[in-house]
Amino acid sequence: MKIPFFDIENWKEIGSTLARNKTRTFLTAFGIFWGVFMLACLMGGARGAEDLLRRNFEGFATNSAILFPGNTTMPYKGHAKGRRWQADHTDIERLRLLLPELQTVTSQSSQWNISFRNGRHSFSGQVWGVEEAFTEVMLPHIESGRFINEADVKLQRKVAVVGKKVANELFPGESSPVRKTILVNGISYTIIGIAYQTSEIQMNDRIDNVVIIPVSTFQKSFNRGDKVDLIMMVGRRSADFSELESKIRRILYSRHQVDPNDKSAMWFLNISDMFSKVDTLFLAISFLALFIGLSTLVAGIIGIGNIMWVIVKERTQEFGIRRAIGAKPIDVTVQILSEGVTLTAIAGMAGISLACMALGITAMLTTNETSVPRFQMTLWQALLIIGIFILLGTLAGLIPAIKAMRIKPIEALNDK
Amino acid sequence: MIKLTDINKTYPGAVPLHVLKGINLHVKKGELVSIMGASGSGKSTLLNILGILDNYDSGEYLLDGTLIKDLSENRAAEYRNRMIGFVFQSFNLINYKNAVENVALPLFYQGVSRRKRNLLAMEQLEKMGLADRSHHLPGELSGGQKQRVAIARAMITNPSIILADEPTGALDSTTSRDVMELFRQLNRQEGKTIVIVTHDPGVGKQCDRIIRISDGLIIPDNSIITSN
Repeated sequence: MKIPFFDIENWKEIGSTLARNKTRTFLTAFGIFWGVFMLACLMGGARGAEDLLRRNFEGFATNSAILFPGNTTMPYKGHAKGRRWQADHTDIERLRLLLPELQTVTSQSSQWNISFRNGRHSFSGQVWGVEEAFTEVMLPHIESGRFINEADVKLQRKVAVVGKKVANELFPGESSPVRKTILVNGISYTIIGIAYQTSEIQMNDRIDNVVIIPVSTFQKSFNRGDKVDLIMMVGRRSADFSELESKIRRILYSRHQVDPNDKSAMWFLNISDMFSKVDTLFLAISFLALFIGLSTLVAGIIGIGNIMWVIVKERTQEFGIRRAIGAKPIDVTVQILSEGVTLTAIAGMAGISLACMALGITAMLTTNETSVPRFQMTLWQALLIIGIFILLGTLAGLIPAIKAMRIKPIEALNDK
Repeated sequence: MIKLTDINKTYPGAVPLHVLKGINLHVKKGELVSIMGASGSGKSTLLNILGILDNYDSGEYLLDGTLIKDLSENRAAEYRNRMIGFVFQSFNLINYKNAVENVALPLFYQGVSRRKRNLLAMEQLEKMGLADRSHHLPGELSGGQKQRVAIARAMITNPSIILADEPTGALDSTTSRDVMELFRQLNRQEGKTIVIVTHDPGVGKQCDRIIRISDGLIIPDNSIITSN
């Protein structure tokens, strides 16, 4: 016996049957097309949406933590509660020394409501004092010039990285104010770079609105001694800040004479923990997309089965004629299944193609200078969708096909 | 060509229906016979058995020397395809296929290539005088043309017998005559064995022999009407 799949005659017969029954073919195909289109859009769209969300955290170290010293809430070693304590550079050195799991330990200090001036133009905002390692925690975009470097800090240079918005306010119409001078709180600084951010994570304010100077210069200008406002840490790959938190607390508490049980004396912000929560959210979104997609798929398949059933009923006489002139039961089954599979494959391909186009357009519209969201499917996803559809389409067509196989030629022919 | 011996057929049911009560029938090669009988006489059942569309309970049916009994669906389909050409009252053409494709369809189930079967189908249609209608759909053909397409389809596998079930039932009298003339021509010129089931005495008269069936039995009426 010939294998129908490899029999060109069989395909020609199916082709002409489908071509001659355009309305029926179109209606069946449309159901499949729509199911595949929806599923593909959801699967591809979920990744794109994830990228769009992730864009908000772009440039921020995921395995990181920030600690904010505050007021003690317990009396300890003769100190009354409510005492304010501050971290300093010795703490940073100790953390670097005692916790090799930490890749970076650095600080950020800020002074609020400082006036920035350039001649007649003025603006007010925060001044930050940072080290060059700041960029390892949060990477700003540099429009022109450079960021603070090690020498700036060491030499207490009076240099400033100016937020893009500040620069626009103070130097309207100038292409780049780098190397120009800015007055910060009445003291002049040389501008070394213009910075901005695209992510939505803020440390007190957006980088666009602030002026950043070397921490050493900052401490001197604002009489901070060697104190810092907060300490930022980035862990190595294996570092787990949930475990590190207690060690870090112990290191700082012992030196500053804070009760080891006084949790509220320091706020420990575990960023990696927050990121893992976001990851969970994305996972949930993917599952939701998959669930909705599969529901669409099932609805589509039932639709195909239903249409196939009606088609078989409608074509009872035709199958009777075919049986009478020599079609074997298997010939009829193969015919229906092949028609179904052909339709499913073509409509499925069309659905995937259109979904890819839709995803491509979405990606184009959401692309910005820093990232292209992955509104796309992997080849395997596409093949999987087509595979599932062809498999389930065949299964859905099987019941009608078996029904058609059981049509007795005499019954079909007497049905005049 | 056809040899039926003591064929019995009962339709099971709450009240079993004994339709054929021992049919003995012999049709020789090259004969043109008609089977006549009132409705309910069992002639349709007999036709179904002759056409291997239905089974019988007891007896023996030899078609061209082959015993037709308790065949599987597949074997029955194969025998129908190779040994029997059907012509129906309502033509039973596939409405979305044109004349040539309809005629060629039995060859599809023999695995003949599309090109070859369309060629053979064109030859048959030419014989029927329908060459110019070969690419028309059944809906675009007159009743007589449809029946000639159906006859071409019955002839294309060069079957042992042609079974026609009220072939003129849906046609007007002029067209009926043409169709009967066609059957006679096939019978005379190509020596086809043709069995026509009808209740039209006019059709019966044009056959070599009338087999009358009544209440599940052949009426022993040996009046052989010879034509000419």
